[in-house]
Amino acid sequence: MKKVLIIIVIIAVVIIGGVEIGVTMQKSKTSSQNAKQEEKVEENIDEGFIFNDGNIKLVPGSVFSKETLGLGDEKNYSEIASCAFEGLDKTYTYENYEITTFPDGDQDKIYTIYLLNDQVQTAEGLKITDEKDKMISTYGEDYKTQGNQYTYTKGKTNLEIIVENDVVTSIQYSYVTE
Amino acid sequence: MKKFIRIIIIILYLIIIFVLANKLLSPKYMTDLVEGSMIAEYYDEIKNHEVIFIGDCEVYANFSPMVMYEQEGITSYVRGTSQQLIWQSYGILQETLKYEIPKVVVFNVNSLRYSEPVSEAYNRLTLDKMKWSKEKIDIINASMTKDENFMSYVFLIIRYHSRFSKLTSEDFEYLFKEKKNTFNGFLINKNIKPVGSLPTKKRLPDYNFSEKCIGYLDKITKLCKDNGIKLVLIKAPSLYPYWYDEYNEQIVNYAKENNLDFYNLKDVADEIGIDYQKDTYDAGLHLNLTGATKLSIYFSKLLKEKYSLTDFRQNKEVNRIYQEKLISYKSAIS
Repeated sequence: MKKVLIIIVIIAVVIIGGVEIGVTMQKSKTSSQNAKQEEKVEENIDEGFIFNDGNIKLVPGSVFSKETLGLGDEKNYSEIASCAFEGLDKTYTYENYEITTFPDGDQDKIYTIYLLNDQVQTAEGLKITDEKDKMISTYGEDYKTQGNQYTYTKGKTNLEIIVENDVVTSIQYSYVTE
Repeated sequence: MKKFIRIIIIILYLIIIFVLANKLLSPKYMTDLVEGSMIAEYYDEIKNHEVIFIGDCEVYANFSPMVMYEQEGITSYVRGTSQQLIWQSYGILQETLKYEIPKVVVFNVNSLRYSEPVSEAYNRLTLDKMKWSKEKIDIINASMTKDENFMSYVFLIIRYHSRFSKLTSEDFEYLFKEKKNTFNGFLINKNIKPVGSLPTKKRLPDYNFSEKCIGYLDKITKLCKDNGIKLVLIKAPSLYPYWYDEYNEQIVNYAKENNLDFYNLKDVADEIGIDYQKDTYDAGLHLNLTGATKLSIYFSKLLKEKYSLTDFRQNKEVNRIYQEKLISYKSAIS
């Protein structure tokens, strides 16, 4: 019986140890893959759609810092909690656009940039109230549709444009998280 | 023969070790992320509820069955979970009906806006502790996100093996025992965070509820009808995420077409007495204890008047059980 117990203990140690070694290997593999991926994302972040109103350049997926980005004080600020988990989505509303951030570790990153009126336009020159034809001539026909929304994808960003009665009524930049 | 017995003993020991490891590494949801424990608390209840609530966080944060009992003698249970999607509500209702047939089912329609699985983390809070049944299998299959696999719901160790180095005292303390975190499914939150400014109400690409969601609403409607249950649709009072007029109109029409009652309780927040400077714990998404108490007083009166529910305060046996619950509830809210 003693022998059996020793065998069982050895097998248990091997199983738990094996799981742990496997997990550690998987972790180091995953973390090195993630690190490479993050590096790649950081390198490629400028390859996506970028909002540029002449003074401010906002890149979806990049770290949000009002000071670094040269943003002044926002008109409105709100924090939205999730149902059960920690971490807040923060929304900063400026005169012509609204920025929503998401928590990523200790940092907040830009998730969406939502244009609020026709006083600003995209870097390529499209603004709310423009006609659909202008959207097509500016961005082409390589889009996906959902309802009234036309989504153009570039790098890790989406440019989501809502068109109602052939008129652009909403423009949003968003970061593609997966 | 001896050798054979030894092999059997070894296999049994290995199974025990595997089961123990599976149990130890799985989240306990007892002191952290308690929302994950709510689904299982129902199983130990005495099943005599005349009203069952199903839906997302807008039901478990906003409706207090203890207040509803104290006010009107209504026996009710909230089978809500975080971000409960409509196909999950359907499965949970099916499961509930195996235990009891209530007079009224109250369904919060907020989840109709989500036509696809949202996140694995929320799936886990609803499913990890749910008892195995055909309904659970159906819910898992309908809810899995792209990177999930079914076996990780069967053997939680597949999903949680990496918790090995993150175990806390909770994992050992609640390895073989559990505690209740809710009162008939109501999760108390006494914090106050007044409503400040809210994000802009964005235009949506499509305001129509998907065929999939309406299909599940049809299934819930039919299930209730087949069991002689009155289905009541509600939209709980919350200021965010925005409940669009277009959403509301679709529910009003659906209720009319299917001869159901729909109460948009957001529209009667003033009548209920909700003060969003005091009655919310997260700036308008959910009500806190004072808000939930006001809403429960209002809604229990409405339910009692409209659906002729029993006043169980007159029933000695039920009243004894609920008086005991009320003592614990009052101690928890004081």
